[in-house]
Amino acid sequence: MTALLRVRNLTTSFTTESGVARAVDGVSFDLGQGETLGLVGESGCGKTVTALSILRLVTEPPGKYGAASRIEFDGMNLLELPPRELRKVRGAQIAMIFQEPMSSLNPVLTVGSQIVEAIRAHEATAKRTATDRAIELLTMVGIPEPEHRFKDYPHQMSGGMQQRVMIAMALSCGPKILIADEPTTALDVTIQAQILDLLMDLKARLGMSLLFITHDLGVLAGVADRVAVMYGGQIVEAGEVRSIFEQPAHPYTQGLLRAVPRVDRPTNELQGIPGAVPTATEWPAGCRFHPRCSQRIDRCQSEGPPEITTDSGNVTRCWVATSAGAS
Amino acid sequence: MTTPEPLLRIEHLVKHFATSRGLFDKGDPVRAVDGVSLALSRGETVSLVGESGSGKTTLGRCILRLTEPTSGTVSFDGVDVLALDGADLRALRRRMQIVFQDPAGSLNPRMTAGTAVREPLEVHGVARGAEARTRVDALFDEVGLDPSLAERYPHELSGGQKQRVGIARALSIQPEFMVLDEPVSALDVSVQAQVVNLLVDLQRARSLTYLFIAHDLAVVRHITDRIAVMYLGKIVETADVGPLYERPLHPYTVSLLSAVPIPDPTASRNRVALPGEMPSPRRPPPGCPFHPRCPHLKKDKRCSTEAPPLREVEPGRWAACHLAEEPMNHAPQPSTGGNP
Repeated sequence: MTALLRVRNLTTSFTTESGVARAVDGVSFDLGQGETLGLVGESGCGKTVTALSILRLVTEPPGKYGAASRIEFDGMNLLELPPRELRKVRGAQIAMIFQEPMSSLNPVLTVGSQIVEAIRAHEATAKRTATDRAIELLTMVGIPEPEHRFKDYPHQMSGGMQQRVMIAMALSCGPKILIADEPTTALDVTIQAQILDLLMDLKARLGMSLLFITHDLGVLAGVADRVAVMYGGQIVEAGEVRSIFEQPAHPYTQGLLRAVPRVDRPTNELQGIPGAVPTATEWPAGCRFHPRCSQRIDRCQSEGPPEITTDSGNVTRCWVATSAGAS
Repeated sequence: MTTPEPLLRIEHLVKHFATSRGLFDKGDPVRAVDGVSLALSRGETVSLVGESGSGKTTLGRCILRLTEPTSGTVSFDGVDVLALDGADLRALRRRMQIVFQDPAGSLNPRMTAGTAVREPLEVHGVARGAEARTRVDALFDEVGLDPSLAERYPHELSGGQKQRVGIARALSIQPEFMVLDEPVSALDVSVQAQVVNLLVDLQRARSLTYLFIAHDLAVVRHITDRIAVMYLGKIVETADVGPLYERPLHPYTVSLLSAVPIPDPTASRNRVALPGEMPSPRRPPPGCPFHPRCPHLKKDKRCSTEAPPLREVEPGRWAACHLAEEPMNHAPQPSTGGNP
C-alpha cells in the first residue's frame, strides 16, 4: 500500500510551569491510500496532540515540534511549509473533525453559512454555487430537509446533527485524508452507530483515508484496518486490527483488552491495570509502562525498549516481547 | 418484584419540569420522569440504563429528594421518603447516599481528600477527633487509597483516585443504599475496571443495595443483577440481566444492545439501526413513545394511539410493548455466535 501520509519521529513538546511536557515523543506511522488507521489510547497518551501536529495546529509557543520531526504529505514536509502553502493543505486536502461539535461551530452563524464560508475559503466560488454545494453536502451527510436546516443555528440541532454538519464542512473541499478525533464520544450509543455508519460509507464512496482517534476499543474494532496503540507519548504497538486484538504483544495492549467489558458476553472478572497514566512532564525512565506492568523485568526500568516485529506482524516496543521473540 | 419486602419501592413516580419559552408560550412541561415504578430488594444491584434525556438521572435524584418529585411515592424500608422533612429526612439520608459521575465536580477543591471523607462523619455526628481519623484511615484502606493521599487536594489526585474518595465519602456514614450515577463513565478503561471491581467488592463486604445509573451497557452487564431500560421518562423493559441481554423483548432494548460496539474485529455486527433521534420529553409522541423510531415490522396503528403498559410478558420479564410476544423480524442478537 502506498503511504499517503508519513509521520516520522514526531515529537511535540510543551513548556509548562512544571517543566517540559513531551506529549508526543518520537511517533512514526504511515497512513495508506483508502486506509483507516485507528489511534487508540487513554487520556494523556498523546493521541490528540499527534492529530493536531499533523495539521500543525499546535500553538507555538508553548508548543514546539522536534527538529527531526517530519510530516510527509504529497512530497512536502508539512512542518516546514510556509503558512500560505500550509493553508492549501489544511482543511482542503487534510480535514479534521473533533469530539465536541458545539465548540467547533460558531454559535452566532447559521450552519449553512459556516459551510459556505469553508468552501469559499479554499475555492474562488460564487456564493450561489457554494450554497448549492453546501445543501448537497448536508444531504450527503444525512440531514433531513437540508434546505431548512441550512438556516439553523448550531444550538437548534442535536449533538448528532451537529456532528453531521462538522462532517459536511470537513468534506466540503474533498479532502484526501480525514482526521476524526473521538468523533462519537459525546454521542449516545444509537446516534454513535449512525455517525460511524455514515463515516464508513463516506470513506468508501469518496476513497478517503481516515485517521480515527478513539479511546473506545469497541469502536476501534469496528472501523480500523490497522491500529496504533499509544502510551506515554509513544506508539507501543501497531499492526493489523485482527492481530492487535487476537495476538497483542505489548502488556499494555493486553491489559486494555482485559479491562474492557463486553456487552455480548456474560460476566468474567474485569481486570484493571494498576496505577494511573503518568503525566507528560514526568514520563517514567526506561519503558514508560513499566511501573504498571505485571511482566516487567529489571531492564524495563532503565532502558527504553527497541521496536521489534512479532511473529504475527505487530510492531512493538517491549523488552519482554523482545526476549520472547529472541530474534 | 417477587420479593415481599423490598428495601426501596418506587410507585408511579413523576417529575415534570415547568418551562416557559416566553410571554405567549407557557411551554409544555418537560416530562423527565413519567410514571415509573420500581422495587429494589436488599443487597441487589438494579441498573437504570438509557440514553441522554431518558430520565434516569432525574429518577435517581428524586429517590434521594435531591430533586422534588411532582407525584408518586418512594418508600425506603417502609418509610415514606416524600413525607419526611428536616431532621427525619437527614436521618434517612444517612442510610441513602449517592456517588456522582464527575468526581472533580463533586469534591470541594479546597478540601483535602481526608477532610472530604471525614466531613460526613462529623455532620451526621457519627464520629469526631481521633475516632474519626481512625475511621477515615480504615475507609481509605477499604477503597484502595494510600493513606498518604489524605493530605492531597482533588487537583493533585488522578480521576480514579478522586472517584475512590467520592466512594469513601459516601460509605463513611455506613449507608445501606447507594445511587451510583455514572460512577465510572469519566474514567479511562484501565481505571474503570479497577473501580467497577471495587464497587462489586464493597457491595459484597457491606451487603449494599445499589441503584446503578449508566449509559454503558457493557459495564452494566458486569455489575448488575437486574436492569430497567428507560426511554422518554418511562421504563420500557425490565428483567434479570442474563435474560435481558440474551433475548431482549422490547424493540428499543434490541436496538440499543445491538448498537453497542464490541471490542472484537471478528464479531458479527447484526445491528438493528435505529432511525432518527429521541424526541423531546416536552412533547412525547402519542401512543407508544418509541413508535416513531421503532424498527418492528409488525408495528401497527395501535402503537401510535395507545400507550402500552409495562406488563409481565413472561415470568419476571416486563415490557411496555404491544408486540412483545411477536418476534422481531431482525436478528436481534448483537453477539457473536456460540456464546453461552
